Amino acid sequence: MTKSRSRRITTIVRYFVLTVWAFIAFFPIYWMISTSFKVDTQWFAWPPYYFPDPPTLSNYLNVWFGAQEYTETQYAISSQTPLISLRNSIVIATTATLLSVVFGAVIAYGVSRYKILSEARMFQLLMLRMIPPIVIVAPLSLYYAMIGLLDTMTGLILIYFITSLPYAVWMTKSFIDEVPREVEQAAEILGASRWRTIFEVVLPLVRSGLVATFLFILILTWSEYLLALILSKTNVSTLPVELSKYQGTTEGKVYGRQAALSVGITVPLMIIGFLIRKHLARGFSFGMVRR
Amino acid sequence: MTPDATVGATKVSAREASRARAIRRFKWSIRIPMILLFGLVLTPVLFLQLYFSFHEWSVYLGSWWEADFVGLDLFREVFTDPRFGWAIVRSLGFATASTIGCFVIGFALAYLMYEPFRGNAIYYGIFILPMLTVPIVVAYTAEMMLYQSGPVNDVVSRVLGIDFRPAWLTHPHLAMPTVTLLEIWNWTPFSFIIMLAGLSAIPREPVEAAQILGASRWRIFWEVQLPLLRPVIFLALMLRFLEAMAEFPKTWALFQGGPGSATETVPVYIFLTTWQYFQISKGAALSYVAMMLMVVIVLLAIHLLRREKRALETMYGDKPGEAA
Repeated sequence: MTKSRSRRITTIVRYFVLTVWAFIAFFPIYWMISTSFKVDTQWFAWPPYYFPDPPTLSNYLNVWFGAQEYTETQYAISSQTPLISLRNSIVIATTATLLSVVFGAVIAYGVSRYKILSEARMFQLLMLRMIPPIVIVAPLSLYYAMIGLLDTMTGLILIYFITSLPYAVWMTKSFIDEVPREVEQAAEILGASRWRTIFEVVLPLVRSGLVATFLFILILTWSEYLLALILSKTNVSTLPVELSKYQGTTEGKVYGRQAALSVGITVPLMIIGFLIRKHLARGFSFGMVRR
Repeated sequence: MTPDATVGATKVSAREASRARAIRRFKWSIRIPMILLFGLVLTPVLFLQLYFSFHEWSVYLGSWWEADFVGLDLFREVFTDPRFGWAIVRSLGFATASTIGCFVIGFALAYLMYEPFRGNAIYYGIFILPMLTVPIVVAYTAEMMLYQSGPVNDVVSRVLGIDFRPAWLTHPHLAMPTVTLLEIWNWTPFSFIIMLAGLSAIPREPVEAAQILGASRWRIFWEVQLPLLRPVIFLALMLRFLEAMAEFPKTWALFQGGPGSATETVPVYIFLTTWQYFQISKGAALSYVAMMLMVVIVLLAIHLLRREKRALETMYGDKPGEAA
């Protein structure tokens, strides 16, 4: 009797706490989305408007397509640069991520099967990720200027490739470690070369792990801000840098536009995160915690 | 031994030798591109940083390679700079507070969720969202919500029935706490996910044994689950702390170091020195000192991490050494 009552109380407390946090976690995201549909008089109002009334698409049209005729207000900063930044972001993030996953998986295979890196070296690799990028970004930008990589996509791709390699190695290694060696031995006996064994036997077996690693690193490269800010000037700007340009405008705060851009930056990540939700623990713990 | 068998043995050892050679070649074909990649990009960068730390150069003074050698002057300047000292204090405080905040909330949520219950997946889906918002987006969304008569103050006022109107974004004493709260909001999912994975991976037997022996939930938590979770807890705290030490986008986008110097963390101060005051050399010296500080912290962390990793492997039942 008392036992079932205490269990019921536990259940109620559990749902209450979880719901409160769910509200806290979701409210800012809701606010961003709803602001992106508000007209300018409701961006900064007292009392705040909790629902866009009436909802409008003009923020999206203005920000993403620069359609001046859709604006109902005098605020109009944008040309079509967000679309160009979108393209840059997609190209830079996917290329760098793909490179680091493929190379990372090969290294991980070497480490897992042939110990090409000792455990100490593996941790040194991790250090690369743990040292804050701010401490090298100034000399890096000068070096890039010297070798002509400043303000180019190649430059950003290269540095993202390097900084995400530790994650790629650690995460793919945790998947490759789980592949039984018998499979490779069979391939070897059949005369397959080591490279063919990697690309045609081992990696296909950990396909879902590789996809998870790819998407996980994509999240990190997509949202990176500091390196993109310093290493790109005018030619190449990524979406986070593009968004920060809205901050310094002389037209005042254009929250609706910012929000419309923010939604565009965030939604792809949320979809990706949802797809790999089961692998997030492995990624963030460098493959040390499995689930 | 018959001649025949000798021939066979040399054949085998020859095959062994060629196999060993092939493996060596394979190993180096992976190592060499790795060495090239890091060597060609990171070595010159570290060299340049060292160069600027010992040479006074600013953008107005001609070519950088003709800059004056000033010995340890820049480091003397850095070590006597009270702003840098405060920046270190601020960064450490920020990292500690946000790490603890993320961990306590994340662990509490994970503890409430590791046993399956109805609605589990929905809560999980919502809880991971903050981590998937880009930091710069978090900063601007916070700005939209935290103005004095904004929705956050409005909701809190309504729920608690008081007049709650702190100036999150303009009061110097509130600026750092605001960034800390944002960091906690942003990264609680990280601690939550790791702790949830850790809790789910605890073997059931010890917990069940304790239940049979009549231990209370509280005692099981403190005396069985918590000790088993130690490596995972350590991992969650350490990774979060290191990331928080490097936090730049939110602090910069919201405050640029202000009001006054209230939010000058180490990354922000380095950024200001280099790109706002254009003191490239001082920025390099600052970076160098900050990097050394971080190297010490990271080495310590990695030392502990390796120890805990072994403990984790025993917990998951891996053969130690195999997965190392």
